[in-house]
Amino acid sequence: MAVHSLRKSDIQFRLKSHSEYMQASFAALASAGLAVILLASAYSGDGFNQLLAYAGYAYCGFTLLQAFIWYRIRQDLIRSGSISPYVRLLGYPMMLSFATGNVFAAAAAFHLVKQKKHTAYTLSVYALLATLLVIAVTALNMLKPYVANGFIFGALLLLLAAGLQLISLLLASRLDEGRLNPYLMWTIIVLQCIAAVSGNLFSLFAGILLLAKLRNKGYSAGSRFGEVLERISHNMAAMLGLLFVSVLLSLSITSVLTFDYSLAIDNNYSAILQSPSAQYPLGTDNFGRDLYTRIVLGARISLFVGFLSTAIPLVIGGMLGALSGYYGKRLDNWIMRSLDILYAIPGILLAIAIIAAFGAGTMNLILALSVGSIPSYARTMRANVLQVSTLEYVQAARAFGSSDWVILTKHILPNAAAPMIVQCTLTIGTAVISTSSLSFLGLGVEPHIPEWGNILKLGSAYLETHSFTAIYPGLAIILLVLSFNFLGDGLRDALDPKISRN
Amino acid sequence: MKGQIATETTRNSTNITNMLAISFRKMLQQPVYRLLLWIAGAPFMIILWIAHRIRLVKENRHGVSSLILQELQDQGVPEQLEQKAREQLARKHAFFQTTIPQEELEKEARSLAQIRLKEILAERTHEDGLAPSADLASTYHRLLGRPEWIVLSVLLGWPLYVLMALFANPYLRYVLERLVMALGVIIGVAFLVFTILYISPMNPAASMLGETATAEQIAAFNQLHGLDQPYFIQLWHSLKGILTFDLGRSFVGNESVTTAMANKFPVTLTLTVISTLLAIIIALPIGIISATRPNSVFDYTFMFIALLGLSIPNFWQGLIFILNFSIKLSWLPATYSPGNWLSALMPIVVLGTGFTASVARMTRSSMLEIIHEDYIMTARAKGLPRNRVLWRHAVTNALIPIVTVIGLLFGGLLGGAAVTEKVFNISGIGSYIVDRQFIPDIPSIMGGVVYTAIAISIVNVIVDLLYAFIDPRIRSKIKQN
Repeated sequence: MAVHSLRKSDIQFRLKSHSEYMQASFAALASAGLAVILLASAYSGDGFNQLLAYAGYAYCGFTLLQAFIWYRIRQDLIRSGSISPYVRLLGYPMMLSFATGNVFAAAAAFHLVKQKKHTAYTLSVYALLATLLVIAVTALNMLKPYVANGFIFGALLLLLAAGLQLISLLLASRLDEGRLNPYLMWTIIVLQCIAAVSGNLFSLFAGILLLAKLRNKGYSAGSRFGEVLERISHNMAAMLGLLFVSVLLSLSITSVLTFDYSLAIDNNYSAILQSPSAQYPLGTDNFGRDLYTRIVLGARISLFVGFLSTAIPLVIGGMLGALSGYYGKRLDNWIMRSLDILYAIPGILLAIAIIAAFGAGTMNLILALSVGSIPSYARTMRANVLQVSTLEYVQAARAFGSSDWVILTKHILPNAAAPMIVQCTLTIGTAVISTSSLSFLGLGVEPHIPEWGNILKLGSAYLETHSFTAIYPGLAIILLVLSFNFLGDGLRDALDPKISRN
Repeated sequence: MKGQIATETTRNSTNITNMLAISFRKMLQQPVYRLLLWIAGAPFMIILWIAHRIRLVKENRHGVSSLILQELQDQGVPEQLEQKAREQLARKHAFFQTTIPQEELEKEARSLAQIRLKEILAERTHEDGLAPSADLASTYHRLLGRPEWIVLSVLLGWPLYVLMALFANPYLRYVLERLVMALGVIIGVAFLVFTILYISPMNPAASMLGETATAEQIAAFNQLHGLDQPYFIQLWHSLKGILTFDLGRSFVGNESVTTAMANKFPVTLTLTVISTLLAIIIALPIGIISATRPNSVFDYTFMFIALLGLSIPNFWQGLIFILNFSIKLSWLPATYSPGNWLSALMPIVVLGTGFTASVARMTRSSMLEIIHEDYIMTARAKGLPRNRVLWRHAVTNALIPIVTVIGLLFGGLLGGAAVTEKVFNISGIGSYIVDRQFIPDIPSIMGGVVYTAIAISIVNVIVDLLYAFIDPRIRSKIKQN
C-alpha cells in the first residue's frame, strides 16, 4: 500500500487533521492515570478497599477499550485519511464508561460517534454530562440517614433538566451546519434555556449560539461568539475545564434544595473525625461536620469571591486603562503613575494590609483582592486600546464625526476585549487560590462559613492522624484552579488563531 | 597664525554654546525639567528672565505684530476668512445631512477664522525679518555669546549646569529618571498604606489593652504612640521614619521595628532568592525544549505539569510535603530552622513551584513567537546550523520579555511568602506581618509592607536597567529621547 511512501510529516498532518485522534489519546492517557491512582489507593494505605478496587478494574477495562479505539483511529487515518464508520460505532460502548464517572472517555466517545459535528451537538453533549455529574454528586446524599427537605423536589428538577438535555442532544445530532432549520433550532433553544436555569453553562451557550445563528439567518459564517465557541469546542482540555466549572456552578445553585446546610455547620460530637464511609463519603472533621457537604457547599463561596474579585477590577481597571489609552498625554500619565503605586505592592501583602485595617470578612476580602488586581487589568486594557486606536476604522469613525464616547464604546472596546477575557479567566484561578490562602491564614472568609481554605485550616491540625481532612479540600481547590487555567488557555487559543496554529 | 587659533577657539566656544542652548531649550519644553531648571538655577534664571523681558520690549515685538494686524484688518482679511469658514461648514453639514442652528454655525466659523488669522500673523511676522521665536532659550543663547554672562551664569547657577550635564547624557539621565520614579513610587506606597491604616475602624489601643481598659489608659496609649495627632503630622512622621530607617517602636513587645525588620528580612530574602535561581535554572531549559518541539509528548507532559504547578496552592503543597517527607518518611524536618539547610529544602521547593511553572510557560510562548519570526527563517536560509540559530538568534531575543516577567514574579514571590512561612513556621517578614495584623500593629505593618515594596522596586529598577543594556532597541530609544 501507499503507507510506506508517506513521509513522517504527512502522517503527522493526517493525524492532526482529525480532533478525534487527539481526544482519543487524551482520554486513554487520562483513564489510564485514573485507573493507576484508583488501584494504588485501593491496595496501599490502610488495608484493601474493595469498592476502590472494583472502580479501578472498571477503569482498566475502559482504558483498554479506549486504547484499542485509539489504535484503530490511528491506523485508519494513516491508511486512508479518514475514520471508518465501524470504528465510529465503537464509540457507543465507550459511552458506558460514564457510568464509572470517566468523563474523559465519555466525552471522547460522544465526539467519535458523529462524523460531522455541529457545535450545538458538542455543547449539548457536555451539557448532558454536566447535569449527569451533578445528579451523581447529589445522589450520594441518599446514603445518609436523612436528606434535606427539598431533596426530592430538587432531584426531580435535575432529572427533568437531564431529560430536556437528552432530547435536545438527540435533536442537535440532526442539525446540519450548512442548512438552517428554524423549527428544530427553536425547539433546542427553548429546551436548553429551560435546562440552563440549573446553572448549566453549556446549555446556556448552546441556546445563545443557536439564537445568534437564527438571527443572522445563515448569511455570515456566524457571530464572533459562535466562532470562538466552535473553535473551543474542539479543545477537550478547555471543555473539561468548563465542565468542572459548570458542574460546580450548578451544584452551588441546586444545593440550596438538595444539600442539608446544617450538616456542614452544626457540630455533631458523636461523629468526630470519622474516616470516609457511605454516610460520610469524605469523612468528618473535628466537630463532626460532614466534609463532603462542606466541600460541595464551599464551592459557592469560592466561585462567588472568584467571580466578584475578577469582575470589579475588570470594570474599574478596564475603564481606567481605556481612558488612559484613548486620551493619552496628561491623563494617561496621572492614571498610570498612580496605578504604579498599587502595582508595587504584591497582591497578597496589599490584601493583608487592607484586611488588617478593615477586619476579616467576605466583603473585605473581595475588596482587598479587587484593589490589588486593578493595575494589571488597566495595563492590559491600555495596551489594547493604544493598539486598536491606530487602526483605520477608528480614524474613519472620527472622520465621520462620531463622538469620543461612541468611538470608545462602539469601535475600540469591543475590539480590545479579547485579551481581557483571557486574563479574566486566568485570574479567577489566582483569586480562588488567594481566597483560600487568606482563609488559611485566618484573614479571609469568616471561620464558621464552609470555605475550602477554612476547611483546610482545620484539617491541617490533624495532618498526622487524619490527613484526609486536609487533602480533599486541597484537591477541590486544585481542580477548580486547573479548570480555569485550562479554560483560559483554550480561550486564548480560540481568540487568537495566530498562536494556536503554530 | 594667531588669528587662526582665535577663530578655532571661537568656533569651539560657539559649538559649546550651541550645545548648551539646545539642551536648555529641550529642557524648557518638558514641564518637570522646566521646574527643576528654575529651582536649580533660581538666581540666574530670574536675571535671565528680566533680561528676556527687556529684550522683548527693546525689539518692540508687540508693536510690530499689532502693526501687521492693523494692516490685515484694513485689507478685510478677517471678514474674508470668516466667510470662507462659513461656506466650508455649510458644505460639511450638507454632506452629512445634518442641520445645526445658525448662531452655532456662526460661532464655529468665527473660531476657525481666528485660528487661521493667527497663523497668517505668525507667518507675516516671520517674513518681516524677526526671529521665528523669541523665547527664553533664544535669549539665553544670545547672552552666552558674551563671556561676562557665562561667568555670571556659572557663578549664580552652577547647579543648573550640573542638571544640564545629567540631561545631556542619555544613559545617566535614564538611570536617574528611573531612580526618581522608584522613589516616587515608594513614597506613594508609604502614603497609601498609612492612609489605609489611618482610616481603619480598628482600635489598636483597645485590642492591646484588653476590654477592661479605661478611657484614660486608652488615651495614654494613643498619646505614647502618637495616635492622637492629626493625620498630616502622623503621615509626615511615618514618611520620615521610612526614609531614615527609624519607624519607632511596635505596639506588641515595644521593640524597634527597624531591628525586627533587619532580623526577619534576610530570612525571607534568602529563601526567595534561592528559589528564584533554582526556578530559572529548571524552567528555562524546559521552556526552550518545549518550544523547539511543540505538540510533542515532552511538550504536553511538561506544560501539563507546569499548569498543575500553577494551580497548586502553596499552603496545600507545603502540607502534603510535610505529610509525606516529614511525617511518613521522616526524611526532612517539618519546620524551618536557620542554619539547617535540609529544613530549607521544602520551603524553597514550595516557594519556587508556581514561579517555575510561570517562567517555563512564558519561555515556551516567547520562544514560539520568536521562532516564527522572519529573521529566524533568514538565518536558517543563510545556512547557519540549527543550534546556532536557536541559541544565538532565538534564545537571546526570547529572554528579553522573560527577564521582565522574572522581575515581576519575584515581587509576587516576596509578597506571597507569608503563606509558606506560616506553613513551615519560618520567622520571616511575611509571617511577622500576618502575626501583627490582628491588632493592628500599625508601625510593624507599615514597615513590613513598605520595606517589601522597596525591595521589589529596587529589583525592578535593576531589571529595567539590565534590560536597557541587553536590548539594543531600548538602548537606541534612550538615545533618541
